[in-house]
Amino acid sequence: MNKDAQMRAAINQKLIETGERERLKELLRAKLIECGWKDQLKAHCKEVIKEKGLEHVTVDDLVAEITPKGRETGFAMLPRLVLSSRTQAILLPQPSRLLG
Amino acid sequence: MKMEEMSLSGLDNSKLEAIAQEIYADLVEDSCLGFCFEVHRAVKCGYFFLDDTDPDSMKDFEIVDQPGLDIFGQVFNQWKSKECVCPNCSRSIAASRFAPHLEKCLGMGRNSSRIANRRIANSNNMNKSESDQEDNDDINDNDWSYGSEKKAKKRKSDKQCGVISEHTKKMCTRSLRCPQHTDEQRRTVRIYFLGPSAVLPEVESSLDNDSFDMTDSQALISRLQWDGSSDLSPSDSGSSKTSENQGWGLGTNSSESRKTKKKKSHLSLVGTASGLGSNKKKKPKPPAPPTPSIYDDIN
Repeated sequence: MNKDAQMRAAINQKLIETGERERLKELLRAKLIECGWKDQLKAHCKEVIKEKGLEHVTVDDLVAEITPKGRETGFAMLPRLVLSSRTQAILLPQPSRLLG
Repeated sequence: MKMEEMSLSGLDNSKLEAIAQEIYADLVEDSCLGFCFEVHRAVKCGYFFLDDTDPDSMKDFEIVDQPGLDIFGQVFNQWKSKECVCPNCSRSIAASRFAPHLEKCLGMGRNSSRIANRRIANSNNMNKSESDQEDNDDINDNDWSYGSEKKAKKRKSDKQCGVISEHTKKMCTRSLRCPQHTDEQRRTVRIYFLGPSAVLPEVESSLDNDSFDMTDSQALISRLQWDGSSDLSPSDSGSSKTSENQGWGLGTNSSESRKTKKKKSHLSLVGTASGLGSNKKKKPKPPAPPTPSIYDDIN
């Protein structure tokens, strides 16, 4: 609904403003590497490339092939990822602090 | 504000979690995209497959799991039984002893040059001592010709303690003031080696009264300095004080020699006392020979 969308947009904006989003992204990247998500994805990439041939790979191809898989496996990893307390404090109760 | 109203009303845990999940999904997608860019660049620049090896060489380096072999497939203690032929002396040597043998055989290692140098030095010394018998001290001569062991040749008896240790049968190499052995022991050793006429290398003879504290000696010194002038005052005071000097000198002797090594004037006092006193024990401190004579004249 519109309200939710607005809510989401607002939260996103807040995150970006405070620089928290960047921090979260770095944190996520590190965690994904630790979990081995990146290696999995790399193996998948290799297969795709071998299929397509080394010379003819384009970014779009790669993105189209890999992103869905990445997202799935990323979500599978979610329970294993532990949100830092700060992140939780931002995203979970006490919304007034975020939006106020 | 409108937003605040929204936030207060619309938010509960589940909604928050949903939002969190979406944010997370966005982040994951960003990471994926970034990853794709990396891979694409690697492919185009040609380094994507660099960390792979072909399956043939992979097989070569596979981990070995058989009994009796380590993970590289090598046999344990393989080199114990192997023998090599030395190119220098054409002998068959065990592999683990081969390196030291080669070092000695060729004469090129650190140890072998050291031994060779020592042998040369010894042979030189032997030649020397035989040729100038007149110049050397009798003591030194006796040392060499007394048939002492190879190791003891290097040690001169007038610079080292020399007391033979009970369990190792070796001479103590510490200085003449070595605290582990007494002068009596040193004397005994020298007499044993050099004959009954041997003397300990120090010319000066002073008492062994090491128990004197600094404070005691300070008191003694102050009492000695009758005139309050320099340290030479005790001797200046003339013959009337000779006997006292003797007594005090003997006392201060050891402590002086111990603590104030560098003060020549004290040494002179020491020298005097030694000349006058009858002392049997030796102390490892040679005085300045000329100075006692000056005060002998005065006294």
